[in-house]
Amino acid sequence: MPDLGSSMRAVVKKVVRAGRIDARTVDEIVKDVQRALLQADVNVELVMQLSSQIRERALKEKPPAGANPREHVIKIIYETLVEIIGKGVDVPLKEQKILMVGLHGSGKTTTVAKLARFFQRKGLKPAVICADTYRPGAYAQLKQLCDQIGVPCYGDGKAPLKIVKEGLKTLKDDVIIVDTAGRHALEKDLIKEMKDLVRILKPDQKILVLDAAIGQVAGAQAKAFNDAVSITGVILTKMDGTAKGGGALSAVAETGAPIAFMGTGETPEDLERFDPDGYISRLLGMGDIKSLIERAEESLGKGELDVKAMLRGKFTLEDMYKQLEAINKLGPLKQVMQMVPLGMEVPDDAYEVTKDRLKKYKVIMDSMTDEELREPKIIGSSRIKRIAIGSGTATEDVRGLLKYHKMMQTAMKGLRGGKFPMRKMMKRFKI
Amino acid sequence: MFDVLRRKVGAFKSDTKTLILERKLDEKSLEKTLQAFELALIESNIAVPVAEDIISSVKAELLGTKIGRRANIDEILESALQKAMIKVLSANEFDFDEYIEKAEKPVNIIFVGVNGTGKTTTVAKIAQRLKKQGYSVVIASADTYRAGATEQIETHAERLNLKVIKHQLGGDPAAVVYDGVQYARARHKDIVLADTAGRMHTNVNLMEELKKIGRVTSPDLVIFVDEATAGNDAVERAKKFNDAVGIDGSILTKVDVDVKGGAAISIAHTTGKPILFLGTGQEYDDLVKFQPKWLVNKLLEG
Ligand SMILES: Nc1nc2c(ncn2[C@@H]2O[C@H](COP(=O)(O)OP(=O)(O)OP(=O)(O)O)[C@@H](O)[C@H]2O)c(=O)[nH]1
Ligand SMILES: Nc1nc2c(ncn2[C@@H]2O[C@H](COP(=O)(O)OP(=O)(O)OP(=O)(O)O)[C@@H](O)[C@H]2O)c(=O)[nH]1
Ligand SMILES: [Mg+2]
Ligand SMILES: [Mg+2]
Repeated sequence: MPDLGSSMRAVVKKVVRAGRIDARTVDEIVKDVQRALLQADVNVELVMQLSSQIRERALKEKPPAGANPREHVIKIIYETLVEIIGKGVDVPLKEQKILMVGLHGSGKTTTVAKLARFFQRKGLKPAVICADTYRPGAYAQLKQLCDQIGVPCYGDGKAPLKIVKEGLKTLKDDVIIVDTAGRHALEKDLIKEMKDLVRILKPDQKILVLDAAIGQVAGAQAKAFNDAVSITGVILTKMDGTAKGGGALSAVAETGAPIAFMGTGETPEDLERFDPDGYISRLLGMGDIKSLIERAEESLGKGELDVKAMLRGKFTLEDMYKQLEAINKLGPLKQVMQMVPLGMEVPDDAYEVTKDRLKKYKVIMDSMTDEELREPKIIGSSRIKRIAIGSGTATEDVRGLLKYHKMMQTAMKGLRGGKFPMRKMMKRFKI
Repeated sequence: MFDVLRRKVGAFKSDTKTLILERKLDEKSLEKTLQAFELALIESNIAVPVAEDIISSVKAELLGTKIGRRANIDEILESALQKAMIKVLSANEFDFDEYIEKAEKPVNIIFVGVNGTGKTTTVAKIAQRLKKQGYSVVIASADTYRAGATEQIETHAERLNLKVIKHQLGGDPAAVVYDGVQYARARHKDIVLADTAGRMHTNVNLMEELKKIGRVTSPDLVIFVDEATAGNDAVERAKKFNDAVGIDGSILTKVDVDVKGGAAISIAHTTGKPILFLGTGQEYDDLVKFQPKWLVNKLLEG
């Protein structure tokens, strides 16, 4: 995430540095927020509207007693965005019919399989219907995805409406998910077809599948889909890339439909519940320390991982050991790293630690003494040799581990080194 | 289309009238209107940093210009912006048809890009175009990864009556392209079009795989395919693909969906390579040769 973060970090810095909030400071902050949102692909008009809202509230509202006026502005920015994006929505776990719609290549077919997998995991019986008769290979694609997860797939015909009618007769499963061809606002015939599909299927949910990278056109396209069939939810795909997904904010603002899930990869497993805090942090390019800490505490129980000490810059091999364990429980390193507000750029290599490498690191550390874990500095070449033999690894592996630790330590120091107002953030989050 | 740009240009114009009276173009008097201009470019789906770059180059040009009392300031401004954008779109320009005509056969062309941008469809469109021009074309189906990928390209090939070289699901894509080139050599075919799997530029393994395809098959042209609907991320992914495999040009698809076309400028600015074609629909003939002037005029004239 090379650029990610720089914009909002500047905002936070400004807010924190400003002695008091005057109109000029607010203007400056608002300008930075504007740029962050525009760069995240939020619609220009919506950005202007939001920023004047933020400016107005920041100047008018007095911070509550005891609260820092600067933190107050950040809170206003956050609240303004939450108000639009909402809290996300849980798809109900019951018998239902779902219609998936969206632009060409947005990820509908893949997401149909992901949703089917989701219901399957929750103990419901899903089945899917392929109503895309236009795209070459559409049925083969959906069928192969369904075969991977053992879900029935009905389709392979010539007329979408007929396929759906017959599919409904044939399939007796709990959740029926219908995949449709890609289409856009100006394709009158296909918009009409979509309406006809709604008439025949009578879906409980009409999900708009939106590519995270979509630009300024997001709002207008979402509106067209909503006008035609009244969207009930949005799924934001391809969030595993670098796009910030601001198009979703425009789409939600236009349709009022909440975001249900995010797609984070190409397999049926790569579906995550939508998390508004994480989303807003990503939009603004601000690391989401809040959810990192929450999740760390949730999955570890108190005392196991000393987040406080870690962020203060004391970062021993022992800490790293715990951190690696935590990461195993939390999810991919990259995602965890994205939640940490980095005051510095972390080298790309830091992200590329694979699960296997993590496992190896733990094996190596098991062969270290407590002293070595606390004071990695004392590990010279003779100790390296001993550790390698003890853990059944090569000396390069041990050196690799030490190098990785150094890199992480530097990163942690960067957090402390004043490039990011860490102490203030910690105070804010009551660490 | 581009109403906002029109509107903003309108604002721009009213400001410039006072400028004529004052007969000077200093930074302060230009700032507000240039900002409005920048916003208009962003609304036309040009990425923020790219819009900023273009505006600052226009600014640099304007600040150096002496304005006569009767000079038409609107024309000066518009031509500065036009010039800046044409410059972006014309870097390293080359004529695709001419290139194909002159290149040693078989020509190996590889299509790359992130997921779902329209690579496979574009391969079919280019195949149709080349076939119409009298070339013999072979398709290498190097997407051995995505479900239904082979069926998709095979259906296209069947309709266009073309040979597809393919391996089984999960096979080595570099080997497929290699086989495609070997096949073309043996049968004296003119052109190999290699369709690769969509991949996120953040996926290290898949980007390595792409580099390997490049190493093993030494393509004559690497074409980056992205969609007109993409916003700011167009910059990041164009950069990453260009860094990984060195692209020679780009194709912008789905221009029928997002007619603003600003992504063309983001991509050209980032890669320094020309936009070759625009995709304007899902039919084989929905492919137009890209003309920098055409896009810029659209942007300016609304
Ligand atoms: N990296 C990544 N790729 C995705 C994600 N969701 C879908 N894809 C990929 O995006 C491409 C398009 O996905 P599809 O599911 O075919 O899209 P679609 O909307 O059904 O496309 P049409 O039916 O042609 O309109 C494929 O390469 C998918 O594997 C995601 O969350 N992350
Ligand atoms: N409207 C429109 N749709 C297009 C255009 N080009 C491609 N598409 C559609 O976009 C969708 C995805 O196209 P593909 O050719 O499968 O994209 P891809 O890049 O090969 O996708 P992956 O291989 O999954 O990464 C299909 O539904 C195409 O019909 C275009 O110029 N205009
Ligand atoms: Mg599909
Ligand atoms: Mg493809």
